[in-house]
This record gives sequence, C-alpha cells and structure tokens, in this order.
Amino acid sequence: MPVGILAVQGGFAAHVKCLQALGQETVLVKTPWDLARCKSLILPGGESTAIYHLMQTSGLTQRVRDFKGPILATCAGTILLSCHVEGTQPFTPLGRIDISVRRNAYGRQLQSFVGDVELAGDKCKGVFIRAPKIIRLGFGVEVLGRFGVDPVFVRQKNISVATFHPELVDGHSFYSGVIETQTAT
Amino acid sequence: MRREIAVVAGIGREELMVEAKRLQVPYEDLLRVHEEKTLPVPIFSAGGVATPADAALMMQLGAEAVFVGSGIFRSEDPEARAKAVVQAVTHFEDREVLLRVSTGLRKPMPSLDVRKLEKEDCFALRGN
Repeated sequence: MPVGILAVQGGFAAHVKCLQALGQETVLVKTPWDLARCKSLILPGGESTAIYHLMQTSGLTQRVRDFKGPILATCAGTILLSCHVEGTQPFTPLGRIDISVRRNAYGRQLQSFVGDVELAGDKCKGVFIRAPKIIRLGFGVEVLGRFGVDPVFVRQKNISVATFHPELVDGHSFYSGVIETQTAT
Repeated sequence: MRREIAVVAGIGREELMVEAKRLQVPYEDLLRVHEEKTLPVPIFSAGGVATPADAALMMQLGAEAVFVGSGIFRSEDPEARAKAVVQAVTHFEDREVLLRVSTGLRKPMPSLDVRKLEKEDCFALRGN
C-alpha cells in the first residue's frame, strides 16, 4: 500500500522525492479517495493556513482527524496536527498530537537556518524554515530530537512531528514510522 | 524553460563550465540544476491567466506555481474567480473539479490581441 502525502499545497514534492529514492510508492493526496488508498500519511511543510483551507474545501479535514494509520508531519504539518496554536488562531488545528506550537518562532523567512539536531545518540542537520517551536508537550509525548533545548522532533503513539525539514537533507531514517507498516501488512 | 532545464541536465558534466559562461550564471548554480534536474526555486507562471482552465493548464505544463493578478481583479467576479482559480491549481488534473469551478463564473478579463498592440502599450519593451 502506498504512502500518502498531503498535496494540496506546500513542499510535498521533496517528500515524494525522498520516498521514491527509498523505493516507496507514493500517492499525492488531494481528495478523500486519494487518502483511502493509503495506510500511512505525510503532512508536508508549506503554509499551514493555506493547507488547512484547502483541506477543508477538499473534504479532507475530518478524514485526517480520523485517520488511523501512522502520520509523519514536518513544519506546517506539525502546526496542523497540534492541539493548540499560540496567538490568534486562523484555524482550529486537528489535535492529533498533544502539543502546543508557536509559529515563526525563530523569526521570519530571512532568519531561516540550518542547525544541528540531536537525536538519540546521533546528530542530523535540521533545516529550519520559518520554523515553529513546540512550546508545550502533553503527557505521553516523547521527545525524539532536540535543537539545543527545544524539542524539534516528537512522537505520540503513531503520530511523529518535526519542526524542521528532514526531507530537504535526504532524511531517509525519518520515514521508518510511515514505511514500516507497509512491510508489516 | 523546462526544455532548457532538461538540456542542462542532459549535457555532460564537462560541458557545464562552458554553458555557465554562455548563460552568464554561476557554475555552482548550473551544476546544481544539472544534478537535481530542476531549479532551486519554484517555477512560477504569470501573465495572462484569465480562467481557472488557464491556471490548470499552466500546472499541467509543469509550472509549480501560478500567479494571477489582472485575471482576477479585472474580471466581473473577482472573488468567485479567485476561489475557482485556487481550486483549479490545487486540483489541476481533476477534470470534474475544473468543470465544476469553471461553471457559473461571469466575464473574465477582456483579452488583448498581442499583434494589435501599439508599441507604447508593450510593457516588455519598457526600459530598453
């Protein structure tokens, strides 16, 4: 079964490229019918408000809320899956992972940067583009990666979210959660 | 543009330096295009997009983003047309969506025949 990548807006192409390099079949998800073909889902970076609006017009919001399979989200995707967005909320996030986020936490586009992310016993390059910060971790949310003291890659059950873009630096290991299910079934 | 990118991607690596000089671009940038077979920036199409179908066509031809300005603001129904164009770009390969969003719109912006334009009206010649 293919991995779905939400493709209504944003940087979905980079995820497609990574997954294809891993020999994984992908589906660009723009409709509930696309989503129905997938056992796992990726929410890419992009503009969270635009993605949310287009999810609504495409009938995907409730489907993603109800989606049972593993989900990997990056940047804007993380914002979409959170429980709360600090400040005036242009939309109600989907509440799939018990975190609160602050958008553009490191500054504007010009303040984007590449930093070292500490993973369990390993390091990787994190590309932070207008990245959000995770400002609250709910009970049961594990921290898998940090940038300095900031949790930047966290997981709750089968929902994994990153505030940076592993898909921009050949971050193949990040996809294990959404690919493993395929071999298990 | 896509053909030019394909040429850069297809020529031998040893030809890239000469090509970079010819195109007057930094060698490193051209090397990156050669290796990744795409530009490091989104390929935007802009200019003359008047209908949702035009916008979808741009996406089908390989644009990664579509800019619509006059096409919305000089039409009879800017708000409805803007929404339709957004849907058409998002679902650019879905004929049913394209048909649905194209239905019920009012007049698009008036078209101009390029062959009949006076020289003074040609924006592209300004500044030369």
